Amino acid sequence: MSRRSIAVVFAGSGGSGAMTAGAVFLRAAARAGYFGMMTQLFGAQVRGGESASLVQIGVDPIEAQPDRFDAFVALDWDKVEQFAAEIPLDDTSLIIADPASGPVPPGIAKAKGRVVSLAMTGAGESKLDRALLGKRVNMFAAGCLAALCGLPEQHIAGAVEAAFGSKGQDVAAANTARALAGAQAAPALALDLKLAPPRHNERWLISGNQAVALGALRGGVRFVGCYPITPATDLVEWLAPHLIKLGGRLVLGEDELASINLALGASYGGVPAMTVTSGPGFSLMVESLGLAIAAEIPLVLVDVMRAGPSTGIASKTEQSDVNLAIYGAHGDAPRVVLAPLSVADCAATTEYAVYVTESLQVPVIVLSDQMLGQATAVVDPVSDRPAPLKRKINGAGASQPFKRYATSGDAITPMPLPGTPDHEWVAEGLTHNEAGLPASGAAMHAAQIHKRARKIREFDAGERWGEVTGEGDTAILAFGSTVGPAREAARRLAEAGRQVRVIALRLLAPLPVKQLAQALTGVRRIVVIEQNDTGQLYRHLLGNKAVPVDAESVARPGPLPFRPSEIVNYVA
Amino acid sequence: MTDTITTASAATEPQHCVYDAKDFASGAHPVWCPGCGDFGVLAGLERALAKYGRGPHEVVLVSGIGCSSRLPGYMSTYGFHGVHGRALAAGTGLKLARPDLEVIVVGGDGDGYSIGGNHFIHTCRRNPDMLYVVMDNRVYGMTKGQPSPTTEPDWDSDIAPGGIGLRPFNPLAVAIAAGANYVARGFSGDPNGLAELIVDGLKWPGFAFIEVLSPCITFRPEQRDWKKMVRPSTLSVEQDRAAATALVLADDGFSLGVLYRGDRASIAPALPTETTMGDVEREFAP
Repeated sequence: MSRRSIAVVFAGSGGSGAMTAGAVFLRAAARAGYFGMMTQLFGAQVRGGESASLVQIGVDPIEAQPDRFDAFVALDWDKVEQFAAEIPLDDTSLIIADPASGPVPPGIAKAKGRVVSLAMTGAGESKLDRALLGKRVNMFAAGCLAALCGLPEQHIAGAVEAAFGSKGQDVAAANTARALAGAQAAPALALDLKLAPPRHNERWLISGNQAVALGALRGGVRFVGCYPITPATDLVEWLAPHLIKLGGRLVLGEDELASINLALGASYGGVPAMTVTSGPGFSLMVESLGLAIAAEIPLVLVDVMRAGPSTGIASKTEQSDVNLAIYGAHGDAPRVVLAPLSVADCAATTEYAVYVTESLQVPVIVLSDQMLGQATAVVDPVSDRPAPLKRKINGAGASQPFKRYATSGDAITPMPLPGTPDHEWVAEGLTHNEAGLPASGAAMHAAQIHKRARKIREFDAGERWGEVTGEGDTAILAFGSTVGPAREAARRLAEAGRQVRVIALRLLAPLPVKQLAQALTGVRRIVVIEQNDTGQLYRHLLGNKAVPVDAESVARPGPLPFRPSEIVNYVA
Repeated sequence: MTDTITTASAATEPQHCVYDAKDFASGAHPVWCPGCGDFGVLAGLERALAKYGRGPHEVVLVSGIGCSSRLPGYMSTYGFHGVHGRALAAGTGLKLARPDLEVIVVGGDGDGYSIGGNHFIHTCRRNPDMLYVVMDNRVYGMTKGQPSPTTEPDWDSDIAPGGIGLRPFNPLAVAIAAGANYVARGFSGDPNGLAELIVDGLKWPGFAFIEVLSPCITFRPEQRDWKKMVRPSTLSVEQDRAAATALVLADDGFSLGVLYRGDRASIAPALPTETTMGDVEREFAP
């Protein structure tokens, strides 16, 4: 019987090429017309540490980590055991390894999976070739697994060439040869892992971090201030060359304090600007986030969340910056917080964030997380493009002196670009009067706070507040990377005859209370799922009376992702 | 035919406006104490900009927090009054995004050398084509008299009885070492001389840093004597980085004038657009 999906792990020590194996396997599947998703596990070493790539491919879109893996492919056994807790296996899992690598270590063997022997080193290669070119065990494994799943050799070869093409023809050819040797070794294993036929369509192979960057470019961001931080660095590394070619620029700040202020300076000058960070950097930026709110300067702030607090776990996921994103800053400092619903949605949500910040003149935080950001997925091309919204810059007809922060009329007041004659104004972080001059009176303080609050209160995200899937009187409320597993859980429950609604919240602040109330119509049981210990979203919902007090909170820390079965077990 | 050419050339001809120093004043009343040196710096900036010839709308004053950082509100130009210590970063972002604007960052010794010290170093290193004017009074004035990085080691204060006991920071030496292209010292008691330095600094390519001795007569009344201590620098070491460094290290801090001019390239400008979003998106094909 052919399968709808298959989940494979490639694991090995530093230099074994586990990541490349996963990437080639995923790309071959994408070229063959399948969907898929890959996440990665690393040891703590900076370079050369053991690693594992976790790949699921299938006929239908994949947005969640699988409950278990069908195959565990060991490129070698060196220190691989440490990943055991993060790679669920069972007695139907296949453990594929080269007997030359030694026995299966106890941490992997305890799942009692069936051990399959596969000689992965090329018998025909000379020792000199191996010394010069490496053993390419990873390509052999990727090719073999791809063939077991029924992926055609042309797509396996194409995927290897795409991965190695930039390294020269010799390297690409040698790797292709090993991958095809792996494919040819597949039939002898007599394993049935064949996937059902795919639906061929144009697809994208994209990571969440790349999708955020793409959305920013689509929205018109042409200035980025940033500082390296895991797991957000690969976002700006992909972004930098593309931004430069589009006439924009990226400035590497000396720290996050500089990064956000570089971006604010550029934005004041009229260029849509963004900064990209993770929790520790976000904490440093908070004072200047308050400035952007007080002085009403547009800014997209991307937080690719990692496990915290403090340095936490740099390379692993958690959804624990909700409080910081929604409330972080001294004083009353309302802002907009958006969270993408999937890897692909990172693009549309970030593009929308650019439009919202430009039109409201209030910073917009894009709350991604490591699980979304560093997952690579095969998706339908992102055609969802929010309608552009522009910054209000025309102050024509205004009185003199120009009242940048006028409090009567529209809460969104024109911010003429520097260079415009007769409209000079000061972006002011002190409590200011309508003309932007410092003012410390109670009445003006309240008037300016109310002006800024009104921008947020009157903001209507329309259909973009979130997405509702499914029916039923039980609702799972989720955001970010927990949406995928929640939807997969609901799908399985529906198959078992239990209808469950999933409410995926994109707009975390201001809470779309009205839309939520409508989405919750007829719901008797609400389960709020999030990956932090204190129920940060749950408390935010309760505080806004967006859910009743008997709503249930399922909150646990990262970095282990929510798996669909965990949610099914709770809800059922 | 002739008409067309006339019209076109008229449109591209720069408008020659003549500005007066008071065109650059906002009319707002400064919070500064009577006799504060910063009044002299404000006057020097207004005179310099009138002489420089660009209109108030083409100039942006960027500042952080402190007495002197209030200055943007007192001028009729565009302004950005941000958070404490980060003015150079905001100014750099603005200048890189809008090279057509004249960006002038202003502030005090606490803002620039203490909380903003890291940005000072790295802005010198990036060397953007903008001007930085520091009003140095060797004290935190707005918080009522604490020692700053440039305060003498034995200056007595409530927070550091008997003195802070630390050697003062040498901003000029740091600026030269870190890569600023133009380093000068001015005095608020001589607004005309200061205005000349400001015009000179605006014209010099790259990052121009002017340290201005600007007395705080409220918390440092002894600084009234600075007018007797300042003198023009006698040595001409402008182009020699090592000699300029030696000079500012040996100097008592009261030599005025241009102390160093470099010719290091600024951080590179943005490049022309050479791709499209369509091309970018095609890269995602598997």
